[in-house]
Amino acid sequence: MAERGRASESMVEEKVIGLFDELRIPLLRYLAGFPLTVQDSEDVIQEVFLALFQHLRNGKSPENVRGWLFRAAHNLALRKYHRSRKEAENAGPLMAMEERLADPAPNPEDQCVFNQTQKRLMSVVRALPEQNRWCLYLRAEGLRYREIAEVLDISLGSVSHSLERSLAHIGRAAER
Amino acid sequence: MLSEQSHLSDRELILAVDGELSAREAERVEWHLEACWACRARKQEIETAIGEFVRFQRQNIDSRISPSEGPRALLKAQLAQQANAQYTSGLQWPRSVSWRLSWAVVAALAVATVTALVFRGYVEQRSAHAMAVTVPNPSLTPGATVLLSQGEICREPAANNKAVPVALQRRVFDEYGIRAAEPRAYEVDYLITPALGGADDIHNLWPESSSATVWNAQVKDALEDHLRDLVCRGDLDLATAQHEIATNWIEAYKKYFHTDRPVAGLRY
Repeated sequence: MAERGRASESMVEEKVIGLFDELRIPLLRYLAGFPLTVQDSEDVIQEVFLALFQHLRNGKSPENVRGWLFRAAHNLALRKYHRSRKEAENAGPLMAMEERLADPAPNPEDQCVFNQTQKRLMSVVRALPEQNRWCLYLRAEGLRYREIAEVLDISLGSVSHSLERSLAHIGRAAER
Repeated sequence: MLSEQSHLSDRELILAVDGELSAREAERVEWHLEACWACRARKQEIETAIGEFVRFQRQNIDSRISPSEGPRALLKAQLAQQANAQYTSGLQWPRSVSWRLSWAVVAALAVATVTALVFRGYVEQRSAHAMAVTVPNPSLTPGATVLLSQGEICREPAANNKAVPVALQRRVFDEYGIRAAEPRAYEVDYLITPALGGADDIHNLWPESSSATVWNAQVKDALEDHLRDLVCRGDLDLATAQHEIATNWIEAYKKYFHTDRPVAGLRY
């Protein structure tokens, strides 16, 4: 009985690791839309996959695992951000990932790569309302509108409207 | 001929390029685009904006994402911990342990597993209590890093390694079985120097023999300076530099200085 239980645990573990291999980077890219450090984002992802493991071993299986993971990451990232913000109230403002990236590049080659268009895009993306930015990042990871709506708990119309606004801003920044 | 009012909206065009229209709507949009240059041009602009955003992400985010081995090893360890908890006395991964630290430890242990065989024989035991340590024992000092990017590391000028607290030095000596009278013969050194993202962690510290005449601390310092230089010039990936110095710093020296013997007086 215990042996069967262990075999089943092992299968769940393999599944979770497989999903981690597939989705860690897309999740990290999405979490770049939050004012978290890379390490905080890695922590969020660890928690998300541990939660999935618990979920699966309890016999629950989300219909759309990818959507479930993005939604869990979104909620945990928000929680972490709010917690960090409270802690940082006396220690100065948090730096968004894009802001951290805006620091001068260390060598001429990097400075060249980090061109004016990129800087303008960074400013535009940072200035987007949170929901618009999240929609954009989720769409960039290949989520369909219905999945985005589920992750963010908004309507399909809102997803469409957010993407339209964001792409208009990005288009203008790229044209200049 | 199309009137101004009949042009497609940006929203319709975005829905079309994203494949979010119904078959009937998609057909209507396709028919319109065949006839309307203005809408085709606008569609192209939208595609360009998408392309710019994707390029922006690749350039600025992907370069900061570390290899997955460390996080993967940590996840596996924690999954195993959770799975075992059901069959044991309920041991849980201590919530008080920082993810950051646990990541470093698990990553370090993963490196140790791979490198254990490579290192066998390098630590020569001269007596029951004294060792001439030229490379660390990988099971005790596999190396540990903090998550810093190449940019973060290179932004600050390289500083001398900070002194290791005495209490931590004692723990290192204890682990290596070095008696209280002998520590003067050693310097507790970082395996992966902090100038390359090495962690201030016991898994990254080892007792380097002061008496070593060939492969000594000065030689390792030269290697560290050289690797940092390569990393900051963009000629060497940071993770590779960390891995090579942690795996076998002497082999790394030979590889990067193209020599089998330390080069006299070489200091970057």
